[in-house]
Amino acid sequence: MPGSIALEARGLYKSFGGVLAIADVSFSVREGSLTAAIGPNGAGKTTLFNLVTNLYPPDAGSASCFGIDLTGHPPDTVAALGLVRTFQTARAFPGMTVLENVLVGAHLRVRARAWQQALWLRAVRDEERAIRRQAEALLEVVGLADRRDDSAISLPLGAQKLLEVIRALMARPRLLLLDEPAAGLNDVETAELARLLLAVRAAGVTLMVVEHNMSLVMGIADDIIVLDLGRVIATGPPAAVQVNPRVIEAYLGREAETA
Amino acid sequence: MREAVEIAIGGVLAGSVFALVAVGFTLVYSVMGVPNLAQGAFVVLGALTMYSLETHLRWPLLAAVPGAAAVAALVGGATERLVIRPARDRLPTSGMLILMVGLLTLFEGASLVIWGSQPYSIPAFSGERPAVIADIRIPTQGFWILGATAASVALLWYILARTVFGKALRACAENPVAASLMGVPVSRMTLFAFAAGAALGAIGGEVLGPITSIEFDTGRFFTNSGFIAFALGGMGSFFGAVAGGLGLGLVQQLTAGYISSLFSNTLTLALLLAVLIWRPGGLLGGSGVRREDVREFTGAPARPVSRLRGPAAWSLAILGAGIVAVLPAFLGGTGLTGSLAITGILFIGVLGLDLLMGYTGQVSLGHAGFMAVGGYTAAILATRLGVAPLAATGAGIALSLAVALVLALVTARLRGLYLALATLAFGLLVDSVTVGLTGLTGGPSGLVGIPSFSLGGYAFASATSTYYLVWGVAAALVIVLANLARSGYGRALRATRADQTAARALGIQVPRYKVSVFLISAALAALAGSLYAFHFHFLSPEMVGTSRSLEMITMLVLGGEGTLAGPLIGVALLTLLPAAFQPLATYKTLAEGLVLVLIMLYLPAGIFGGVLSALQRLASRITHLTPHAGTASSG
Repeated sequence: MPGSIALEARGLYKSFGGVLAIADVSFSVREGSLTAAIGPNGAGKTTLFNLVTNLYPPDAGSASCFGIDLTGHPPDTVAALGLVRTFQTARAFPGMTVLENVLVGAHLRVRARAWQQALWLRAVRDEERAIRRQAEALLEVVGLADRRDDSAISLPLGAQKLLEVIRALMARPRLLLLDEPAAGLNDVETAELARLLLAVRAAGVTLMVVEHNMSLVMGIADDIIVLDLGRVIATGPPAAVQVNPRVIEAYLGREAETA
Repeated sequence: MREAVEIAIGGVLAGSVFALVAVGFTLVYSVMGVPNLAQGAFVVLGALTMYSLETHLRWPLLAAVPGAAAVAALVGGATERLVIRPARDRLPTSGMLILMVGLLTLFEGASLVIWGSQPYSIPAFSGERPAVIADIRIPTQGFWILGATAASVALLWYILARTVFGKALRACAENPVAASLMGVPVSRMTLFAFAAGAALGAIGGEVLGPITSIEFDTGRFFTNSGFIAFALGGMGSFFGAVAGGLGLGLVQQLTAGYISSLFSNTLTLALLLAVLIWRPGGLLGGSGVRREDVREFTGAPARPVSRLRGPAAWSLAILGAGIVAVLPAFLGGTGLTGSLAITGILFIGVLGLDLLMGYTGQVSLGHAGFMAVGGYTAAILATRLGVAPLAATGAGIALSLAVALVLALVTARLRGLYLALATLAFGLLVDSVTVGLTGLTGGPSGLVGIPSFSLGGYAFASATSTYYLVWGVAAALVIVLANLARSGYGRALRATRADQTAARALGIQVPRYKVSVFLISAALAALAGSLYAFHFHFLSPEMVGTSRSLEMITMLVLGGEGTLAGPLIGVALLTLLPAAFQPLATYKTLAEGLVLVLIMLYLPAGIFGGVLSALQRLASRITHLTPHAGTASSG
C-alpha cells in the first residue's frame, strides 16, 4: 500500500580488509518511488547494493524489505522476497537467446514442479505459453521483439541493459534495484532507459537506482540519497540535493566553497 | 627398523620424481592458470625415449639422458605452440581443461603406438648392485634420482629467483596483461614453461625408470601423483610442490608397505579432496590461489549453443526413433547389433554427463566412477546373492545416488577448476577401490558370471533383445530430458552455467540445482554401468575406470554438449568406428586424443553444434535474399 517503506537500511557497516567501504549507512525508500543513490567514485554505492541483497553479509547493521528482515538470507531467497537486482556490468546470460534470457526472469513465478515439467503435462504447457506471451510483450515495449532469437550477448550494450531490466521485471519484483543502468549508454539509449524506468514506476514497482549520470537522475528521481566515502551525506528531493553544500563539496572538492 | 628406513628411502625416491612432476605443474600453472594434465606423459616419454636412444641408436648414457630430455622439451614446446597458444584465446578455462585431457590421451596413444603396451625395464645408470650404508640397502639409482631432483630444483630456483628472466616469468604469473605491457614476451614465457616442465618430467622418468616398470599409460599415475603433490603444496608454490612431492612419496610408500596399497591410494586421494575443499592454498597455506571469478570459469565467454527447436526437432526425433526401431531387422543379430547395444548404454551415461557438463557447466572428470558404483553393486548383488537384476540395478542406482549426494555436498563450495579436479580425485578413488577390494569386486581381473538382465522371467540374453531394452530406456530418457530442457528447469540450469550470480539474483537456487543435476547424472551413469555389466556378463575396473570417464567426455564434446542429439553422435562415432577399424586397435587411443584436441581447437560446439550453426547461417543468408524482411528462422 502507498506510504509504506519498501526498503529500510539501519546502521550498515562493511569493511574489506581494513578499507571501510560502508560506515553507518541508514536510509529508507518509500514504496512506489524512484530513489537514486549517487556519489563520487568509491563512495560505496555498489557495495551498498551487495550488502542489501546479501551477496556478502554486512559487518554490522541490517536491512529489511517491506518489513521483512533480510539478514542471513542467501541471494536467491532475497529475490523470492520480492527484491530483484541487476548488475553493473550487463549480465545477460551468454549461450542463451534474448527471449530465453527474459524467460529465465520468470523463474520464481513458475508453479510447475520439475517432475511435472519432465512429463510436459498440460499445466506445464499452458504456463510456458503464458510466460512466453508476457516475455514477448515486454520485448515489444523495449523494441527488442525482432531480436528475440538472437544470442543475447550479441546485442549492443544499451540493448543488453534494457534486456536485463525487463528480465528482472519478469520476476514481478516489488522492489527493483538497478546498479548503474545507464553506464556506457549514449544519449539516445539513456532517454529510452529513462522512459522505461518511468513506465516501470507507473506500474507500481518501487525502484532504487545507483547512478552516475546526473541528468538522468535529476530528471526522473523522486528521492536522492548521496553517499561519500561510505557515509550518507544528504537525502531529499533532487532540487534540495542539488544545492546542498556538502554534496557540492563531495563532488567538486573544497575549492567550490571559495569559488 | 631397517625395513622402515628402506621403505622410507623408497618413499623419498618416489617423492623426488613426484616433486619434479609437481614443479613442472607449478611452472605451467603459474603462467597459464590451468595445470597441464598431460604432465605425467612426459615422464613416460623421457624414460622410453632414453631407452630407445640407448638400445636402438646405441647412444651412450651421457648423451641419452640429455637427449631424451631435449626431445621432451621439444615436444612440450611444440604442444604449447601448436595447441595451447591458439586455444587460449578461444576457450574458457573449462575448455582448456578438457583440451588437456585430450593431450593426455593423445600422448598415451602415441606412446602405445611407438612402444607398444608391454612394460619396459631400463638398465640402471651405475649398475644393479645396491649400495649398503649402515646395513641399509639403497639402490645406486637412488643417488641419481636425488641428485637429478636436487640439481633440477636448484637450477630452476636460481633462474626464477635470481635472474631477470625469472622475474619476468613470475610477472607473467601475477598478471600477464600488465607483464606484456611492460614488454615481457608472455607467449615466450609460456613456451619456456611448457618446454621446461616437459624436460623436468622427462628427467624424472629417466632417473626413476630403472627401479620401476614403465609402460605407455604409466603417465596417468605420475600425472595424478604429481598433481596431488602440486595441490598439497599449494597450487603455484614452487617449494610447496617439492615438499608436497616428497611428503606424498613418503606417505604412499609407508602406508602401502605397512597397511595396503589400496589404503595408500585411498588415503592419498582423500587427502587431495580434503585439500581442494578446505585448504585450496595447500597444506602450507601458500598464496598460489588465484582470485576466483564469480563466473564458473574465467576466460573467453561461453559461445551460444545451437539447438534444434520446434517442428524440425520433432521430425528429426521421430525419424531417429524410426530408424532405431527397425534397424535390428536389417542387422539380424550380428556383431553390429551388439555394438549398437553398447552405443545405447553409453548414450544413457553420456546423456547424464551432458546434463551436468553441457547444460549446467560443471566439468566432471570422474563420471565413470558412478558407472562403477552402480555396475559393481548390481553385478555383485545379482551374481553373489542371486538378487533379481532389476532390483540389483535399483540398488546400484540407490548407492550411486547416496555417493553422489555426499560428493555433491562435500564439493558444494567448489567451483570451476577445483570442482573438476575434485571429480577427478573421486574417479581415481573409485578406480583404486574396484582394483583393490579383490574379494568383493574380483580385482583387476574383474567379476565374471554376471547373469543377463531379466524382467519378470524374461531374460535379455541375445544382442537384439538387449538392443531393444537399452534403446527403449534411452528413448524414454530423451523424451524426459527434452521436456526438462525446454522448460523452466532447463533454463535454470543454463542460466547457472552462464552466470551463477546473476542467476541467483533472479531467485534460482543454484546450489540445489547443482546437486539435483549431479544426482540425476549419477543415477544415469549407474544405470548405464549396470546394463553394461548385464550385457557383457562381466565387469572389470578398466571398463568403468578413469579411461572411460575421459572417453565419455570426448564423446560428449565430439558430438556437441548442451544438446540431446550431440551425445548420440559422439557416442555412435566413438563406439562404432573403432569396431569397424578393429585391426587398427592400437591407434584407438591416439585417435581419441587427437579428436578431442582438434574438436576443442576448431569445433568446440561439436559436430551437431557445428552442423546446426552452418545450417542456420545458410538459412539466414537465404532468408535475407528473399523480398520478405523476415527474421532468420531458428530451425
